[in-house]
Amino acid sequence: MPTEFKIVLFLCSWGPHAAFQRLQDQRADIPPEIKMVRIPCSGRISKALLFKPFEMGADGVILVGCAPGACRYGTGTETAAENTEDTRQILDLIGLDGERVQLGNFQPDAADDLLAFLKAFAARIRELGKSPVRAQAGRDRFAGEPETVEAIVARHDVFACQDCGKCTSACSLALAGKPFSPRYVAAEIIAGHADRPDVRTSVNACLTCGVCYERCPSAVNFPEFIKDMRAYYHDRAVSAVPAHGGFFQSMMRAMTSESLVPRRWTHLPESIRTNPQSRVLFFGGCASYFDIFFHKFLGVQTERIVEDSLRLLNFFDVEPALMSDERCCGHDLLWSGDRENFLRLARINADAIAATGAEEIITACPECCHTLCTEYARYGIELPVKVTHMHAFLEREIGKGAVAFKAPQGRMAFQDACRQSRFDGQADLPRKLLKHLCADAPEALDDDGAPTPCCGNSAWIGCDAFSKHFQVQRLQRVRQSGSTTLITACPKCQIHLRCAMEDVLRGGDLKLETMDLVSAIARSIYWA
Amino acid sequence: MYKQITITGFGGQGVILAGRIMGEAAAILDHLESTLVQSYGPESRGGACSAQVTIADGPIYFPYIQSPDILVCLSQSGYDKHVATLKKDGVLIVEQDLVKPEGGRDYFAVPCTRFAEELGNKMMANIIMVGFFTAITGAISLEAARATVKKSVPKATIEKNVKAFERGWEYAQATLKGRREKAAGRIGVVA
Repeated sequence: MPTEFKIVLFLCSWGPHAAFQRLQDQRADIPPEIKMVRIPCSGRISKALLFKPFEMGADGVILVGCAPGACRYGTGTETAAENTEDTRQILDLIGLDGERVQLGNFQPDAADDLLAFLKAFAARIRELGKSPVRAQAGRDRFAGEPETVEAIVARHDVFACQDCGKCTSACSLALAGKPFSPRYVAAEIIAGHADRPDVRTSVNACLTCGVCYERCPSAVNFPEFIKDMRAYYHDRAVSAVPAHGGFFQSMMRAMTSESLVPRRWTHLPESIRTNPQSRVLFFGGCASYFDIFFHKFLGVQTERIVEDSLRLLNFFDVEPALMSDERCCGHDLLWSGDRENFLRLARINADAIAATGAEEIITACPECCHTLCTEYARYGIELPVKVTHMHAFLEREIGKGAVAFKAPQGRMAFQDACRQSRFDGQADLPRKLLKHLCADAPEALDDDGAPTPCCGNSAWIGCDAFSKHFQVQRLQRVRQSGSTTLITACPKCQIHLRCAMEDVLRGGDLKLETMDLVSAIARSIYWA
Repeated sequence: MYKQITITGFGGQGVILAGRIMGEAAAILDHLESTLVQSYGPESRGGACSAQVTIADGPIYFPYIQSPDILVCLSQSGYDKHVATLKKDGVLIVEQDLVKPEGGRDYFAVPCTRFAEELGNKMMANIIMVGFFTAITGAISLEAARATVKKSVPKATIEKNVKAFERGWEYAQATLKGRREKAAGRIGVVA
C-alpha cells in the first residue's frame, strides 16, 4: 500500500531486531510507511543522525534498542535515551513536534509489543500530519558567483601572495603543530591542485579566524577565499562532514522550509519585558539550541547571554520585539560552503525582519551581527534595518552615564570573537566595555589590547587534536597570568573553551570561570 | 517663577558665558525676564569667578543674589565660598571631578571637564554644564538653550558645542532616570 508518510526506523541488531524479524516472518502488518535501517546499537545513533532524516523529508523517526540493562555494549540504551530526549527538545523548539522522535526498548521475544508500538507511532504521525520540512530539490545558485577555481583565485587576487609565510607563522593551527599552511594552500590552489584531497582537507580545516589576513602584506583575504573554495567543494558534493555529525547544518537546512514555524522563545523568563510593536527587534541566535545539544557534557548556558541581553535592554528602558519564529542567520551554512541554503534562509529572514516593521536589530551574537550586517549585503540581500551589536548598544547607553559597576572579583581575561574583532574590526568595542566594567579596579583586567587567538573552531566545521592543543595552551596561559575568569564575546567561544576544560587529565589545571561579556555587565551594572 | 542661580568656578572655565547663555535663553527665547551679574578678579584665568543669573516671569527689581535657588560649582574654591549661601531646598550642581561636596546634602554631579576632553576640547565643559543644568533644573527650555548655545559660540565650533550641550543633557537624563529607577527599587539588572 503506497503511503504519503515516511518514517525511518533505526533498529538495533541485537535484541529488538529478532523481534522485528519475527514480525516479518509472520508477515505481520507493519505500517508500510516505516522504513527500517538496521544499526549495530541504538547508542550509536547520534543526535545528528536522529535529525538528519527530518532534513531529508521524513515525518517521523523511531529509535528502537535493547531494554535497559540488556545492551550488548553496556551504555547504549542510556545514551539512546539521552540523545532522543535532547533531539525531542530541539524538535519542539525548531517547530517540529518532539513527538516525531520516539525511543522504544524491546526484548527479542517482545514481537507483539513492538508491533503495537510501531502501529501506535504510525497512527500518531498520521494525526500530526506531514512534516513541515520540505526536502529540497533543484539548485538555487547565487548568480554571478565564480564557479571555477580560476575565477575564485582571481576574485580574491590570491596571486598577490608573495609567498612570505607571515600567515603560516601566525596561524593558530600551524602553531599547534598541524601540517597546515595558508601559504601552501594558496600556492597549491593557484597551481591547479584544488581537487587534490589534501588541499581539500586543508581548506576544510581552516579556522577562518582571520589572523592570516591581518598579517598578510598583500592583503589577500584568506578567510573569504576559503569561504568561496568551500562553496566550490560543496557544489561538487565533495565537502567533508562537519563536526558534531553536521547536526547544526542539518538543523539550519531544515529551517529553510518556509512551512516550518520555529518556537524560538518558548522558554523566555516572564520577568523579561518585550513589546511586539517596538521599533527595536532583538535577534537571539542559536544559543538555546546549543544549550540543549551540549548540556550533557559542558553544562553550557549560552541562552543566559540572550536573556541577560534582554534584561539589559529592559534595564535601559528598551522593550524589544522578538520574532517568535526566529530562524538561524545562516552563518554556519555559508561558511561550510552551502551557499544555496544560506541564501534561502537569508531571504526568509529578510522578509520576516521587514514584516516586523522594526528600524533596528540588536543582537548579542557576533556571528549573527556580522552575517546580518555584512554577508547579507554581500550576497545581494538588503535588510531594511540597522544592525547593532549588543556591545555597541551598551557602549552607547553606558556612555550616557549615571550607571556604575560593582568591582569584579578576581582577575579577568578576554577572548575575542573572530567575527567581531577581526572581521568587523571592532576589537575596541568589547574593550571599552571591559574598561567600564573594571573602572574601579583596572588591575583586574588582563588584556594587552590586541585580539586574542581563535577559540578553536568556527561554523562547526572541524575540530581535532590540534584545535584542542591550542585551546589548552590558551587556557593555561590565562591561568598562568593569574586570571580566574575568562570573558567571552561569542557563545561558540564559550562552548569550545569549556569543552577543552573538560580534559580528564589536565582538567584541574584548565578550569576557569567563563562568562559572556554581556552577562558580566548584567551582573554588575547598577544605577549610580 | 523666580529663580536665582549662582554659577561659580575659575576664570577661563566659561562661567560667565554659561550664565549668559542661561539668561539669554530665558529672556529671548523663553519670553521670561532675566538679569546677569558677573564678578571676576583681574586675572584672565585661574582666579575665582562667578555669575549670578536671575530668571523670572515678572520684573526683576534687584539683580544681586544673596541666597541662590540653584548653585552650580565648577571649582572647589567656588563651592567652598558659596555653598553656605544656597537655600535649604536649593539644587546643588557640581563638576564631579573637581568638586568634592561635604556634608549630607543631596547634589547632582557631572564630570563635564572629562566629557569635554573626550569630545576634543576641554573649553566646552561649560556648555556641557549648561546642557546638564537645563535638564536637571528645567529653568530654561531645551530648544531655547540649544539655540542660544548655537549663537553664543564661535561659528566654527557650533557643531561641536551642540554635541557637547547634548552630551550634558543626555547625562542629566540618565542621572534622573537612574534616580527614578532606584526609587522604584530597580537597582541592577539581576535582582
